[in-house]
Amino acid sequence: MSGTKTFLLELHCEEIPARFLKPLSEEFSPSFSAWAKNQGLPVTALEFFFSPRKLCWRGALSAAQPNQIETQVGPPQRMCVDEAGQPTIQGQKFAEKWGVDFDQVRFEQPAGKKEPCAVVTITKQGRPTVDLLAEALPDLIESLHVPKAMRWGKSDFEFVRPIRNILCLFGDQVVPLTVDGVTAKNTTWGHRLYHREHPAPVKVATPEAYETALEAAGVVASVAVRKSRIAEQLDQLAAEVGGRVVADGSLLDTLAEIVEFPKIVRGDFPASFLELPKEVLVTSLREHQKSFCIEGPDGALLPCFLTAANRPDDPAGFVKAGNEWVLKARLYDARFFFAEDRKLALSVRMEKLQALTFQRELGSYYDKTGRVVAITKALATRLSDDDEHINRAMEAARMAKCDLRTLMVGEFPELQGIMGGEYLKHEGAHEEVWMAVKEHYRPVGAEDAIPSTPMGCLLSLCDKLDTVAGCFAVGLIPSGSKDPLALRRAGQGIVRILWERGWAFTPGDLISTALRVVGDKATKSAPESTEALLAFFRDRVAYQLEVAGYAGSVRRSALATGWEDLADLKARCEALSAFADDPRFASLAQSAKRIGNILKDEAPGQAFDAAVMQDATEKALADRLKALEASPNQVALLAALADLAEPLEAFFGAVMVKCEEPTLRAARLNLLHRLRQAFLRVADFSQWQ
Amino acid sequence: MHIQELILRLQRFWADRGCLIGQPYDLEKGAGTMNPLTFFGALGVKPWNVAYVEPSRRPADGRYGENPFRVYKHLQFQVLLKPSPAKVQDLYIESLEALGIDFSKHDLRFEEDNWESPSLGAWGVGWQVVLDGMEISQFTYFQQVGGLDCRPVSAELTYGIERICMFLGGYDNIFDLVHGEVKTDDGVFPVTYGQMRQREEFELSAYSFEHADIDLHRTLFDAFEKEGWRLLKDHGHFLSAYEQALKMSHTFNVLDARGAVSTTERPGIIKRVRDLASACARAYLEHEEGKTPTAESAEKNGAAAAKGGAK
Repeated sequence: MSGTKTFLLELHCEEIPARFLKPLSEEFSPSFSAWAKNQGLPVTALEFFFSPRKLCWRGALSAAQPNQIETQVGPPQRMCVDEAGQPTIQGQKFAEKWGVDFDQVRFEQPAGKKEPCAVVTITKQGRPTVDLLAEALPDLIESLHVPKAMRWGKSDFEFVRPIRNILCLFGDQVVPLTVDGVTAKNTTWGHRLYHREHPAPVKVATPEAYETALEAAGVVASVAVRKSRIAEQLDQLAAEVGGRVVADGSLLDTLAEIVEFPKIVRGDFPASFLELPKEVLVTSLREHQKSFCIEGPDGALLPCFLTAANRPDDPAGFVKAGNEWVLKARLYDARFFFAEDRKLALSVRMEKLQALTFQRELGSYYDKTGRVVAITKALATRLSDDDEHINRAMEAARMAKCDLRTLMVGEFPELQGIMGGEYLKHEGAHEEVWMAVKEHYRPVGAEDAIPSTPMGCLLSLCDKLDTVAGCFAVGLIPSGSKDPLALRRAGQGIVRILWERGWAFTPGDLISTALRVVGDKATKSAPESTEALLAFFRDRVAYQLEVAGYAGSVRRSALATGWEDLADLKARCEALSAFADDPRFASLAQSAKRIGNILKDEAPGQAFDAAVMQDATEKALADRLKALEASPNQVALLAALADLAEPLEAFFGAVMVKCEEPTLRAARLNLLHRLRQAFLRVADFSQWQ
Repeated sequence: MHIQELILRLQRFWADRGCLIGQPYDLEKGAGTMNPLTFFGALGVKPWNVAYVEPSRRPADGRYGENPFRVYKHLQFQVLLKPSPAKVQDLYIESLEALGIDFSKHDLRFEEDNWESPSLGAWGVGWQVVLDGMEISQFTYFQQVGGLDCRPVSAELTYGIERICMFLGGYDNIFDLVHGEVKTDDGVFPVTYGQMRQREEFELSAYSFEHADIDLHRTLFDAFEKEGWRLLKDHGHFLSAYEQALKMSHTFNVLDARGAVSTTERPGIIKRVRDLASACARAYLEHEEGKTPTAESAEKNGAAAAKGGAK
């Protein structure tokens, strides 16, 4: 058996969209491995590289396919050999099919057959790996799933972008393959600008030399290396002006994907643009120029930005000057939108919301605003009895969606809410109102915080509640992976706000309020929607417990005794978590299950006569019951319960609950019933394991 | 560099590489793609290389001549290469070098930007070309035009003339660009973009945002549509019908800038333009196939004649 060699395939294309690089790289690897394994050539150390113009895979394979010994089963013996013991025509054909003489055919009874059959063992000669690669790779490349495929030139071949060169090596040998007229070589192309000065292609002598050969030609093959070089330069350049980079992980990823040789350039913009809200600057720089902002120690932005160039240097300062020039034009536009939007009061946009559809059955954003105001009114009056405060909450609800009709949000949809808040602030609105509007889309994801003010939380909750309940009421219910309106995210936001704020609204309360407001727009009956919404919120609450980091045993047992009072649920989970590792709880859980089983077909009462009890263990239990029932909070209760583990075990060890004597039996059952009720105040321990 | 010098250099460059130098089409339009040299040129199998300047109107981009970067009307330099050559990106880079851009000192990137024109039933994939952080060109491989697959595929290059001029000259205001120089017996007089166009920007912005008669434009839109279908259906005239589609498109853009088109109405209006443009594209292809007789087209013509005879 010969040793292994390294394989390398690089598709050199015209610039591939950044978003497809990683998915395509990742998709090829398993299909290549699966093919190789099928050929008896397991791949080891398969890795991939990508850059804007390159998709590349490298791994180790055996130099040749091992010989494959195969057993082929044919027709039954009786059909292959006649009575005289001579081969029949069928028998001869079988031997012919597999290229052997008839005397090499054996007759055996294979597993699963009822009689002896013709069997041959043939040895398939293993082929050189390079030949197999040459045959298989074109199909493997062609079958890559490209989400937005294109054609080019005269060919019907489809790929993500035109393939202009193929580098394919097995050891130092070129794998002879052709894809859409492009034949593999042992050369590739480096950085585009490098080749303006060095017209010859770059030779890659062996797969191992790939990164070095490319780096010399201006391409850093590894995205991880590019990313770390970018991060390093960002930090250093920000520190030079006494600031830090406004972090943005996905922008960092993007920059590493769109350059082959990263150089971070710091530029300046006129300080007068700092009058724009910080969010506008950060968004505009990110969306238009793929640039990072720099903030000072106080969090205020500095008039500088950082962006990546796709080359090693900026010898004439053109890259800096060019980016500054463009940014100025962009910020000029942002300032135009900011000034133009403020010429009219935000409230003027209210009427224009009528022409903006929220959802077909539920009507326009104007209709939605009406519903959110109504829900806000209903809930605000339960949180406060200060009329002015309630009016402000309703004012915030009225203004919340108006910024959808501003130029700035038209340009940067991700600034919705934020701009409404900023414009209201400029109009002199009450701080509570503009803060609430500004933050009412939060939390925008699992990583994001809930609004920082109570009114912001209320508005966010009412807006999301209307979205969720409204959609359920017209039959738009998320299922499986289908949740186009992101209702689960909205639902999670509601639960998080209740959870973190500790508000006493139950999901049931909220659902009935919201469904009342949806009114006759609903196409489903209220009980039907309520049931679906309760199930939906229960799932959200269960997920919230998971996110909060509670152990499975805690979550299951706490949820089983009630989930609608979130404050209570939270307190119970906290208390349970403190005992989660206590070994006594495992025993308690066993006993709880046992109690459940014993009481299953019984109808126990509250009262029991301690006097009839005989055994010391049951007397001990009865003594503890009082303390248990009187414990003022969950922690005390749990401490008392933990202490109960041992006596319970002793009780079950010593006593037969369902004894013949009816008074004693009743007393014991009732004791267990009361104990269980005490348990259930905090958790259903039968769900503990 | 003066605007006219930039145009002349691009024309020289592309003429030297086997492009016909075309002329702007004398109707209002939003992009150079709408010029019949591209719209019809990208269809069918015949080889076709063409380059031309196209003034492009975007009513909603009007800024009354006050914004130093954005204008109602700008100039596009448009190149269409069918089929797309294997070295099309290199050709494009050489054209920039012909403008004096030295790539040992500049950053160049091709960032994904897929082009789509719902009103032409056209789409393609490609990039915006970014020089030192500025988008200077749009680069597209046409996949469909007029709802028909492009086979072979054309590459379309669109240069933003004013932008490139501003960028190369470091101008902070589009209206300070120099279009060219007038030389007379009395001396040399540079003429700026502002002198030539600023008043026009003001009036056309005011028209698009304030003065355009909405009812008139709605009526015009309907009338152009009716006219286009009449020309196409009654006479099989796809060129004059296509002009009506262009007029519909511009009329829609004016209505849109006037804020007269609601979000719900928009897709329907765009579809009406697309339907006419796509029908013109189909009629053009049928006409082209008829000119170069093939077995199929001869059969088809025979069938059509037979039908005609039966009438």
